[in-house]
Amino acid sequence: MNFTLFDLKIIEYSFFITAILVIMIGLYGALVKKSLIKVVIGLSVFDSGINLLLISVGYITSGTAPIFSPALVKDMPLTLENIKKLSAGMVDPVPQALVLTAIVIGFGVTAVALSLVIRLYRHHQTLNIDEIKNLKW
Amino acid sequence: MVGSPVLFIAVPLLAAFLIPLLGMIWKESIRILPGLVLLYMLVLAVTLLGQVMHTGTIVEIIAGWKPPWGINLVFSPFTGVLATLMIGMGFIIWIYSYRFKNVDFEEAKKYFILFMMLVTGSVGIVLTGDIFNQFVFIEITSISAYALTAFYKHRDSAEASFKYLMIGSLSSMFLLLAIILIYSQLGTLNMADIASKAHLMKPEFKILAVIFFIVGLGIEAEIFPLNGWAPDAYAQAPGPVGAAFAGIVVKAGVYALIRIIFTLFDVSGTHQFLIVIGLTTLIISEMAAIRQERLKRMLAYSSLGQMGLVLVAFGIGTEEGIFAALFLLINHAIGKSLLFLSGSYLVYNSADKYINETNGMGKFLPITSFLFALGALAVVGMPPFSGFWGKFFMMSAAAHANMLLVIALILSVSLIELVYYFRVVNRIYFYKKESHIEPKKPTVNAVIAMVTLGVIILVIGFYPDVISGYLHQASQALLDKGKYIQDVLSTGQLLTH
Amino acid sequence: MNMIYILFSLMFGGAILTFLAHKVSGLLRDILFVLTILASTVLFYTKIHTGDAVDFSISGLPLQWGINAYGRIFSLIVLGLGVMASFYSVSYMKGKERLGYFYFNFLISLISMMGILMSHDLVSFFIFWEMMTWSSYFIVIYNGKHVQRSGINYILFSALGAYAMLMAIVMVYAHTQSLMIQDMMQAFPFFPVAYKVWLPILFLTAFGVKAAMMPLHVWAPDAYSDSPMAYTSVFSGALSKMGIYGMIIVFVTMVNYLPDDTWFRETIAWLGAITAIMGTLWAIAQDDARKLLAWSSVAQLGYIITGVAVGTPLAMLSALFLSVMHALFKGTLFMAVGAIEKQTGTTKFNEVTGLIRKMPWTFISSLLAIIALAGIPPLGGFVGKWMLYESLINSNHYILVIAIFFASTSAFLYCYKFLFGFFLGQEEKEWEQVKEAPALMVLPMLIMATLLLVFGVFPGIVLNPIDLGMQTLGFSTTAGTFWSMSGLFNEWGNQVMLQPLVYAIGGTFLFFLILLTVKGFKETRYVTTKDISSSGEVPLEHENLTFSEGFYQPFLRAVWPVMKRRMMSYYQGFGQGMEAFFDYLRRVYSGNGQTYAIYVLVFVVILLLFKNSLFG
Repeated sequence: MNFTLFDLKIIEYSFFITAILVIMIGLYGALVKKSLIKVVIGLSVFDSGINLLLISVGYITSGTAPIFSPALVKDMPLTLENIKKLSAGMVDPVPQALVLTAIVIGFGVTAVALSLVIRLYRHHQTLNIDEIKNLKW
Repeated sequence: MVGSPVLFIAVPLLAAFLIPLLGMIWKESIRILPGLVLLYMLVLAVTLLGQVMHTGTIVEIIAGWKPPWGINLVFSPFTGVLATLMIGMGFIIWIYSYRFKNVDFEEAKKYFILFMMLVTGSVGIVLTGDIFNQFVFIEITSISAYALTAFYKHRDSAEASFKYLMIGSLSSMFLLLAIILIYSQLGTLNMADIASKAHLMKPEFKILAVIFFIVGLGIEAEIFPLNGWAPDAYAQAPGPVGAAFAGIVVKAGVYALIRIIFTLFDVSGTHQFLIVIGLTTLIISEMAAIRQERLKRMLAYSSLGQMGLVLVAFGIGTEEGIFAALFLLINHAIGKSLLFLSGSYLVYNSADKYINETNGMGKFLPITSFLFALGALAVVGMPPFSGFWGKFFMMSAAAHANMLLVIALILSVSLIELVYYFRVVNRIYFYKKESHIEPKKPTVNAVIAMVTLGVIILVIGFYPDVISGYLHQASQALLDKGKYIQDVLSTGQLLTH
Repeated sequence: MNMIYILFSLMFGGAILTFLAHKVSGLLRDILFVLTILASTVLFYTKIHTGDAVDFSISGLPLQWGINAYGRIFSLIVLGLGVMASFYSVSYMKGKERLGYFYFNFLISLISMMGILMSHDLVSFFIFWEMMTWSSYFIVIYNGKHVQRSGINYILFSALGAYAMLMAIVMVYAHTQSLMIQDMMQAFPFFPVAYKVWLPILFLTAFGVKAAMMPLHVWAPDAYSDSPMAYTSVFSGALSKMGIYGMIIVFVTMVNYLPDDTWFRETIAWLGAITAIMGTLWAIAQDDARKLLAWSSVAQLGYIITGVAVGTPLAMLSALFLSVMHALFKGTLFMAVGAIEKQTGTTKFNEVTGLIRKMPWTFISSLLAIIALAGIPPLGGFVGKWMLYESLINSNHYILVIAIFFASTSAFLYCYKFLFGFFLGQEEKEWEQVKEAPALMVLPMLIMATLLLVFGVFPGIVLNPIDLGMQTLGFSTTAGTFWSMSGLFNEWGNQVMLQPLVYAIGGTFLFFLILLTVKGFKETRYVTTKDISSSGEVPLEHENLTFSEGFYQPFLRAVWPVMKRRMMSYYQGFGQGMEAFFDYLRRVYSGNGQTYAIYVLVFVVILLLFKNSLFG
């Protein structure tokens, strides 16, 4: 595949722009929608946006997976220079590890949130967030 | 070496997962196991603390990945003092809640699992030397805190928990954003490494990261515009959990915020910002607290205010100020926990937990009422109880830093605090009991826990030297950023050779 | 171990033991209580000498306890009154609830007063000051009457004062790096001007609250009248003197070094005088003896404050002398009211009358105390007031003299009301069965009343220790010069032998008193209040015809314009306004999770917008 420089920029920025758009959509859902379900959806969309952003930090256009497979290494001796050379085209693995963790956490939070929504519905017979205001001041 | 800091994370986490398994064999074990674990941790923490005071910081490398790549745990005098405090509070709260949900095995099991996770997460936040790891611990703490807040099914606790969750998720988003910013700039997640390289960041990115950290951790540390969830969560959670929030969780949040501001970045103006935001939190919370009609909400607002005061003390930024802040922190952990623990017995059988339902309890629950009064005296800072010393050191630190206006503001707000605490104490002792309220006698283990806290208040009050030596070292450790960086990074080098 | 440690351990241990003994046996508790006070009094006067001191440190703060001659003057008041009140309260409190609590706090407040007198450093001073506050607070609310009003008012004002003091203390500490009161005194002349002005103001706020000085006095009448009378004698007699104790230190060590101290002294002196006038007027208006005495305490403290503020050696001497006398006579009077309350169950003038034959000993001691209070020779009060007038005139405060004189003369009105209302007048059927109070209550009153007489006749007994104390404060010795400064002392103070003339006057007075009493005793017909009829109208059973009803109405109508502006109402308005404001403010916690989330975002946006000015 051949990319022009312009294409590369577009691809690199498109991640950021998409991520920020997703974050905005998530925030909108969490802050403006009155239904608790939608609020929860908004929160998890927000979460996904952040994860996307995190991934895109470590992304290198047309980079390879950060694996030192035997095919890649061949018979090169593992000196520092060789490792540097090999890893230059690799995507940074740390953000991916972080995102995995963050996704798990986000999953847990969403699960708790949904179970709370069920409980709230049983208790208040409504999902409208404006009507669930027994605790205030 | 008696043990290493990694046990503070591994043992309670293991215990949390063992609880349901052991529960199948012997039902009582779900209550005993957390206590044994916490007691072990407490002994370990005290021993390690004594050791650290003489030999210096212990840095533990996890899984052989040396800093700055791997995760490391730092048991310095500063983190050690906080971890010991949290574990100690955890142990006392365990004693208190030993008979919690005595008849309902399933509920009790959930409670103890979540409680162990809460303690693990909080201790982890304090001990870890890696910001992403810290984020994970914050999430562990938060998720168990959401679940514990929603523990009672019949109250409005789900509502409180949902608010907590909403704001808590926002907090984790902002933390992640800040972590992304740092990682994209510096390519490292190790705190010491970040601290040593912070000057390499572009200034605007650095400030952005600091702002995101302040927002994300400020939610955990309950600073003013970010703490809307806190009073609900404190008030709706079960009594021991409220005490754990005040004594353990919020301390971890404050620690994280302080670590970011003091060690990671040296952005100018953060100290003044801490003072301003702390004062705002203090003033608004106390003003809200005096108008509360429900006991636990009042305690919750008061707790927010006290944490604001702690932030002000940290914001002074001198060694004396940090010493005072730690003193206030410890006093708040002990005093406010005592208030939550005894307060929840005072309003045990009332549905709405109104303050006037504590009327006349002094006659029926003499020990509980007495301890509540003692806790109130300690929290408002009456000598010769522990709170006074914190207040005095704080004031003198502020005076040395020439912040007379801050002193005047804090003292005038303290008057408000004094009024509402004494109003409650008056009600407990000198009002006629509401006829429909049936007083509930505390169980023996609850009495032991509360009396222990009361004794600690008296001991620190009469002889503050028991802790002040540790706290002095701790505050020096926080201020000495170079030593922290060197301690952590040199362990890495030592391992390479 | 040093005797000072032993003293404090003894008192503390006694307090805790008394508290615990309450659970075991009432008698043991009473014995322990009295023994603790007696033993520490004996220990203090036999084993601890002026100039003793111990050094120690807490958490790196060097502290020092010790006693000097100045503190000793006040220790006379505290321990003397404490011993009397301890005997009295054993009998007075018999049969009441929560006695362990009461005695514990009683002892703690005595300990803390001794602690204040023995603190040579500011931190222990403050600690004892706050301990005194909360222990007395717990006694103020002991009766359970108006706890939310009088109790909270008391603690709020005390804390206001205490925090002002704390602020002053940390200012001093930050500036001198030392906590010793001695160092503060020496360093004060070299402080920056702002400190020189603020420190005395802050300290005087603290001491003014306890001494019930004018705008800070509003807690006093309620707190004095609501606490049990056994303690009020100590409260009004000794505890309020701690304010005077501190004030004198402030005036001697600080105000003297102000660049221009006249305005300062004048202000405080006038505040004292206004306190005296208003206290007197309000005392006259009261129908309840406890309230009357409470307001009268405020008024008397006003004189003392004026004396302190004027600050000439003679004025200082008079203030100290009046402090001792006030402790004695107000202690006696509160005890007398307590005795009446114990025997009749009420302290209202318009309910109980004619007790003179039922409670003669109480009457005698009240009479002596009232004479002293009114400042009539030959009792102690007269000597003090005379010195005060003289010092005011000598220092050219003529208007002040008029004000003080007005207050002092008006005081006769309430003195008369007190005596007449309770003891004289018709005897009511209702009170026929009333007996004299138990001996344990009467004896302390009689002893103190006798002391008033003795000190009035031989003021030198009290003036000698006061003189020693004043030398500690830096006044030159007054023993040699006072006799020439005060015309009074030529007759009364210096000479132990009274002049025959005085004997003659006294003897004649006594003769006629006895003659008239005996004569009157035989010829009096005792009637009740209902035993009247005018124009054929017979009063109804429920009509209150006691003469104390509506006493001094014309006088009060005349002074009403002065009295109607009550300080209390301003404070109340302020307090209500604040609470309404707080109530409005707490609505930021709207209860809606989304609102809180928006707060978070707004906070972020604000931080981002102002990031350059915040973290630039």
